[in-house]
Amino acid sequence: MNANSNIFKAAFAAGAMAIASLTAASSALADELDTIKENGVMRIAMSGAYPPFNFVNEQNEVVGFDPAIGKAIADRMGVEVEIVTTAWDGIIGGLLANKYDAIVGSMSITEERKEVVDFVGPYYRMSRGIFVREGSDVADIAGLDGRKIGVTLGETHEQWANEQPGWDVRTYKGLPELLLELDNGRVDAIVTDDIPVLVAIRESGNAITQLDTSGLEGIADQAGIAIRKGNPDLRKAMQDALDAIQADGTYMMIAEEWVGGDIR
Amino acid sequence: MDFDLILRVLPYFLQAAIITIKLSVYSIALGLVCGAFGASARLSRYRSLRVAGATYVSVIRGTPALIQLFILYFGGPQVGIQLDAFEAGVIGLGVNIGAYMAETMRGAIVAVDKGQFEAARTLGLSHVRTMRKVILPQAARLMIRPLGVNINAQIKGTALVAAISVVELTYTAQRYIGSTYKPFEMFLLAGALYLVIIYVVGLGISFLDRKAALK
Repeated sequence: MNANSNIFKAAFAAGAMAIASLTAASSALADELDTIKENGVMRIAMSGAYPPFNFVNEQNEVVGFDPAIGKAIADRMGVEVEIVTTAWDGIIGGLLANKYDAIVGSMSITEERKEVVDFVGPYYRMSRGIFVREGSDVADIAGLDGRKIGVTLGETHEQWANEQPGWDVRTYKGLPELLLELDNGRVDAIVTDDIPVLVAIRESGNAITQLDTSGLEGIADQAGIAIRKGNPDLRKAMQDALDAIQADGTYMMIAEEWVGGDIR
Repeated sequence: MDFDLILRVLPYFLQAAIITIKLSVYSIALGLVCGAFGASARLSRYRSLRVAGATYVSVIRGTPALIQLFILYFGGPQVGIQLDAFEAGVIGLGVNIGAYMAETMRGAIVAVDKGQFEAARTLGLSHVRTMRKVILPQAARLMIRPLGVNINAQIKGTALVAAISVVELTYTAQRYIGSTYKPFEMFLLAGALYLVIIYVVGLGISFLDRKAALK
């Protein structure tokens, strides 16, 4: 390498950095609400494998409570909605990488997540359930000591299960895998949100029963809509839209249709 | 076995198979280009090009394709590369298979008898003309089968992009399992469609190979 090419490289690097800082500055100034309005489309993400909240029907369309809520919010904001399905463990990474504008995917609001994303909502309340096979010798939570417990990677339940002494925690991609593993006996119990499991039991006839968790602390969680930080206008617009659909009955209709009752 | 369900979802699996085919075709095309550059660089008379080619091949072959896709898709925006999932899939898979194809092509070129090269140079042909007129036509014939192996691997490798949210065959099966609770049927159906694609492509490669051998 001669001196000239080194100068050239340095100039090139400086130029690239200048462009990078310019684009960073402009994106920090503009609220994403403007971009969404401009494009006329809000891209919302979910796993697509979490009935009744979000799943594909036989026509391969993503439907359920989450897409319906997302669409109702978008309608209120006067934009179309585009649904992206993605693996749960990478869903926040995808939001930060600007692959979509919001996660409307039954995400529980936690302090850790609040450090990287902002939440709109909550839009429903979820509770933690612990499930075992019917006829299992595990009768209560104490009986889980030393047992194999299945959880979904990246869910709040994973962290909670890891804090329980004596549990042998295994992580999986999502609820379908958890149900299969419980069914085929590779895990003794699964810890996850209870409504989807109750729906799965009803739909598939799986022989699964729920353990009594009424004495447990902190089993209720709030589901929120995650957006990228630094977008107060977008957050306000979405919150206003969410409030409006709760006030005019749209929310109740959606909840009745997909979950069978109010879940606030 | 729920055959009714399989028949009902088959049209949507066929649509997903088209996505898989598109991913395969685009990434293999990109892979062939990367492979040709990679092989030429590795066989170059210039040391810097040889080092560049060797670095490309060893970095790509030395890391999991899934990690490369994650870096491109999730990490890309941090350094200003903004690609949608399908684009990231094509580029990631194409650059990946390109490294393997580079080695395949280089192997075929090197396999042509050294005497051919020496004879052509002795007759006064330049390096470039020797390669173009003497070596490459013979190497091309030797490449078809092993490139077919790369292509076969790549078609199956497209399943990786399910992890970055491209709804191709594998991810379609996974999504359906979420709502049908029927993993056996759904994965079997996806597997059968991969088999059909691979079989047809295999026939094409055998045909090319036979045609080249007849010359």
